[in-house]
Amino acid sequence: MEKVIEVKDLVKKYGNFTAVDGISFDVNQGEIFGLLGENGAGKTTTLEMIEGLRKLSSGQITVLGQDVSKGPKNETKEKIGVQLQSSAYYQFLTLKEIIDLFGSFYQKSLPADQLLKIVDLLDKTNSMVGNLSGGQKQRFSIVASLVNDPEIVFLDEPTTGLDPLARRNLWDLITEIKKKGKTIILTTHYMEEAEVLCDRIAIMDKGKILKMGETHKLIEGTKNPYKISFITEKLSQDQYGNLAKLGQIENLAGKSNHFEMHLKTQVNLNKAVDIIQKQNPESLTVGRASLEDLFIELTGRAIKE
Amino acid sequence: MLKLLLSDIKMTFRNRQYAFWAIMFPLLFTFMFGFFFGDKATTGGNVILINRSDTPIAKNLEQVLKDNSMFKINTDVTDENAAKDQIQKNKAAAALIIPPDFGAMKSDAPKQVKVIDDPGNATTNTILFGFLNQYFTNLTFQSAGIKGPIYSVDEEKTNPKELNYFDFVLAGILGLALMNSSIISIAVGMSKYREDKILKRITTTPMKTWWFITGEILSRLVMNFLQVTIILLIGRYLFHAHIYGNIFVIYALALLGAVLFQLLGFVIASFVKTTDAAQGAATAITIPMMFLGGVFFPIDTLPKWLFSIVQYLPIAPLLRMIRSTVLEGASPFVNPVNLAIIFGWIVVCLAIATWRFRLSEE
Repeated sequence: MEKVIEVKDLVKKYGNFTAVDGISFDVNQGEIFGLLGENGAGKTTTLEMIEGLRKLSSGQITVLGQDVSKGPKNETKEKIGVQLQSSAYYQFLTLKEIIDLFGSFYQKSLPADQLLKIVDLLDKTNSMVGNLSGGQKQRFSIVASLVNDPEIVFLDEPTTGLDPLARRNLWDLITEIKKKGKTIILTTHYMEEAEVLCDRIAIMDKGKILKMGETHKLIEGTKNPYKISFITEKLSQDQYGNLAKLGQIENLAGKSNHFEMHLKTQVNLNKAVDIIQKQNPESLTVGRASLEDLFIELTGRAIKE
Repeated sequence: MLKLLLSDIKMTFRNRQYAFWAIMFPLLFTFMFGFFFGDKATTGGNVILINRSDTPIAKNLEQVLKDNSMFKINTDVTDENAAKDQIQKNKAAAALIIPPDFGAMKSDAPKQVKVIDDPGNATTNTILFGFLNQYFTNLTFQSAGIKGPIYSVDEEKTNPKELNYFDFVLAGILGLALMNSSIISIAVGMSKYREDKILKRITTTPMKTWWFITGEILSRLVMNFLQVTIILLIGRYLFHAHIYGNIFVIYALALLGAVLFQLLGFVIASFVKTTDAAQGAATAITIPMMFLGGVFFPIDTLPKWLFSIVQYLPIAPLLRMIRSTVLEGASPFVNPVNLAIIFGWIVVCLAIATWRFRLSEE
């Protein structure tokens, strides 16, 4: 598979503070690659170094075969599209005017109408950014990064601060962009988002990559890849003990009748399900571990919003 | 590039806050000073004249007062108490009462006129008393058969042209408008762009930074051109300001000043972190310059030590040049020190802005 971005031993220091601590990764053509981590993990700094917005302390970055370690040349800038974290656009221009203006910065650009149609903002063509809702703004911000029909699209926290419905709309949009054959590298601190969207992820913490790989394989590779969630009124001490031997069991969020189990093997999973079914549980869900479980396993904590 | 410039101009005119500072604010000042000190305004204020004498001398005095541009003479009030009432209500500044038979050629004819004044209105009192004393001195000489006073003042103006305070202040308003709109709009505008990450976003495009900055400066110069035009037109045709200089030189100086003030705006924007801070810093710089740079009054009346400092403020040499052009029709090259100070400031600001101003952080 063709590598469109190659990052080697990337380091970014601010005085004594190391924001990015010697990370290496590649991004393949046509995939969605996710940098997952808490605020301050170094995701945005990494992204902005690749985009040419921040200088490297050391390391090497190659984008589309060009070394951009000392800042990208115009040739590279023509081929990348950037959406910045919580950015706004010109206050006093309409959506169409902004897209036309940014389009004029590039040698080739897409017409405003075509782009606004993708994000369902055609009826807002002559509105100012200030008159858009949060979700519309974010959709516009993403589509504005497509104005030069780029090969690689950088999305920095594209759904942060949006309501769940607007977030799902954006996932559809990002999937659409992928279908057009573009490579997408995004940062997020939403586990679900990374799980749904990303072909591969790198989990970052304190400037380092803790784990990297195909999203589903990473999840399957957790210590306890199976998960049971069930609700039952009566669960005797004996049965609780038996279940505890098969895997980790815990009460969920202080509800005395709601349990969650994490298990290592398929065999244990089957045994546990047998035991639970005999209780006639009100509800029983068998599933696999999530990215969040992996994250907690790796860092010992969950991501706080 | 053309597209960027056109967009910038569009934004400049859609930005109401900027339009206020650029157009409304200076207009406000032009009208204010125009009404107070413009051609139609009278420095001495309203004076009520109650003339009860019909002698030639009294008639002559009334005529001379009416012909004089220093006061607006009101003869509608005929009663002393009514006059006092008007003065107390600040509708008139003073009242002059000429008694019956004043100036008649008989020995018991009254020799004095009566003035009712408001002690709070020192300007009118000084001018009125000065005027009357002068008039009566001449009258006394004439009555005594002497032809005119023996000693007198030979007045020589440095500028033989007809000028008033409004002409002086109009040039100041011009500089003030350029200064306020340029410094504030660049400092605040650039900070806002940085906050909204527009500057960063532009860095990711092949667009060159200095093209971007050129667009910002040029679009504002268009607005500056408009400002100068409006202020000069209103000053000239509504308040009859005297403009003797070459209009092209005035525009050239104004735009040179505007470039300097915009660079100052960039300097502020490169030091402050937020839009609010930019607003504060810009105000902190423009307000002292407004009063110490010679916008409203000549700064050589300031204490010497203060003058020796403030004469170098960016706006001071600009105003000196604009004034000598507007009022005297002099070339700015007559006193090249002013030009040198301006270019000095431009070089300094340009150096600081180039060194500090970044589109994105490191």
